[in-house]
Amino acid sequence: MYGGGNTFEGIKTDEVAQEDPILLAVFEARIARGEKIEPTDWMPQLYRKQLIRMIEQHGHSEIIGALPEGTWITRAPGFKRKMALMAKVQDEVGHAQLLYSAAETLGKSREQMIDDLITGKSKYSNIFNYPTFTWADCCFISWLVDAGAIVNQLANAKGSYGPYCRALDRICAEESFHLKYGHHCVIYLASGTQKQRDMFQAALNRWWPPMMHFFGPSDKISVHTEMLMKWKVKMGTNDDMRNQFLDMYVPKIWELGFVIPDANLKKNEETGRWDYTEPDWEEFKRVINGGGPCNKERLEVRRIAEERGKWVREALKTPRTKYVMPLA
Amino acid sequence: MNSLDPRVTRLPHIGEVGKIVPKASLDQFGTYEVFVQPKEGKPFQHEGIVHAPNLELAYVLAKETFTRRFTCTSLYVTDTRDVFVSPLTEGDKNAYDQITPSVATAGIKKQFEIYHLSKRGKQHVHAGSVEASSPEEAMSAAKQKFNQGKIVFNIWAIETNNIRFTSPDEQELWLTLPDKKFRDAAEYKGGDKLKNFLEAQSKA
Ligand SMILES: [Fe+2]
Ligand SMILES: [Fe+2]
Ligand SMILES: [Fe+2]
Repeated sequence: MYGGGNTFEGIKTDEVAQEDPILLAVFEARIARGEKIEPTDWMPQLYRKQLIRMIEQHGHSEIIGALPEGTWITRAPGFKRKMALMAKVQDEVGHAQLLYSAAETLGKSREQMIDDLITGKSKYSNIFNYPTFTWADCCFISWLVDAGAIVNQLANAKGSYGPYCRALDRICAEESFHLKYGHHCVIYLASGTQKQRDMFQAALNRWWPPMMHFFGPSDKISVHTEMLMKWKVKMGTNDDMRNQFLDMYVPKIWELGFVIPDANLKKNEETGRWDYTEPDWEEFKRVINGGGPCNKERLEVRRIAEERGKWVREALKTPRTKYVMPLA
Repeated sequence: MNSLDPRVTRLPHIGEVGKIVPKASLDQFGTYEVFVQPKEGKPFQHEGIVHAPNLELAYVLAKETFTRRFTCTSLYVTDTRDVFVSPLTEGDKNAYDQITPSVATAGIKKQFEIYHLSKRGKQHVHAGSVEASSPEEAMSAAKQKFNQGKIVFNIWAIETNNIRFTSPDEQELWLTLPDKKFRDAAEYKGGDKLKNFLEAQSKA
């Protein structure tokens, strides 16, 4: 699972101006033809840098995203829900492995990525810095946060970098289970007792603002990404992705009789797009920079897991193997 | 730490918040390429990689990572360093054209598995095997045996002895996959429940 609100650095066009113009033209023509770029192909430094950043953030989001859901495995209602949630969380951690591998083909080692997550140098999806108070919060993530992730992932699977696209094809196939499972959970809450309905409504109220943040800052204020769109690193603007999500899921939430906590939310028949209250982007920035309710806890859990795993790595250490970059 | 989850609150105090000692190179696992056979009778194809301390554990991790859900009939792994790789071509350029024929040398012949990338953006697929005394010679032998006019963009050669295959008695590992229905989207049909709910709503 993953949010599109990844933070791209401001693009310095002079960085691209230093690239060999002939190689650059061949590279851009290949992307324009719809062909994939493979690890050993020539690519601009900026393309490599931004892809590593994006795929790495995606991988970290899978790892950290497994925490707010994983904490509910032991308390999920009934044996079936426990089995399903366990399988889902295992999938998410597996997704991280696939994504790290794809980023590694660009030249950053997995251990370096793990270290950069722990020290806070690399980011992950902002939404996982919020707590899951009740089972309904967990269901909100399984259904709607994964739904948002799928909107992003399906778009990115049509991107230009071969290893990332292949990883996403596998991931999207598994996400369909997450989505169905999540919706199933929410249907059961919706058609249950008043207490169950109230529980999901409360979760919806808590999670709606971070869900709107999930796709990243509005196009009006986000950095220029034309170059990244041309290179098929970024496959749609943040507002496009947000709009697609609203198109697909607002009707499904309303169908279940829940109230989305935004009085301005409605489809604008003229523009064909959704109107909504502008999300609080200051809050978004504050949380991304460490000020959210769970940032510290998430990174600490990850760091302590790494520290506690030391003896395992120690025990398995052998001079016969060597870390090398994956082939594809 | 003060968490909603008491198990998090109970975590031991080790190390320092926000700090991690970078791992020495010896402390980093090796890289292994994973190949999967999607169906009986179909060729093996490259599926991705795992990191592991040795070939045997790479095999175990590959099973967990790549065959948790999709039905597959077999899997094998090899150390990335044991994959001999040709140049990558594009357009109408055949990677085999860049393989210079090498005269078969004396020496013990070994078997090599040959893989083709026939479509850029897709996986490498097993083409067959050849006998040769070196990877270079294997490439050249593959050119004679498998270069049939169709463009191949990249060729891999792996010495068969360096591959950790699935043994016949391990084959049944994958037979239980269809039983794990809770991992399957099709198990979560909420349609009837939803319909009943909506009907009850409209009556109320
Ligand atoms: Fe997810
Ligand atoms: Fe997911
Ligand atoms: Fe995921």
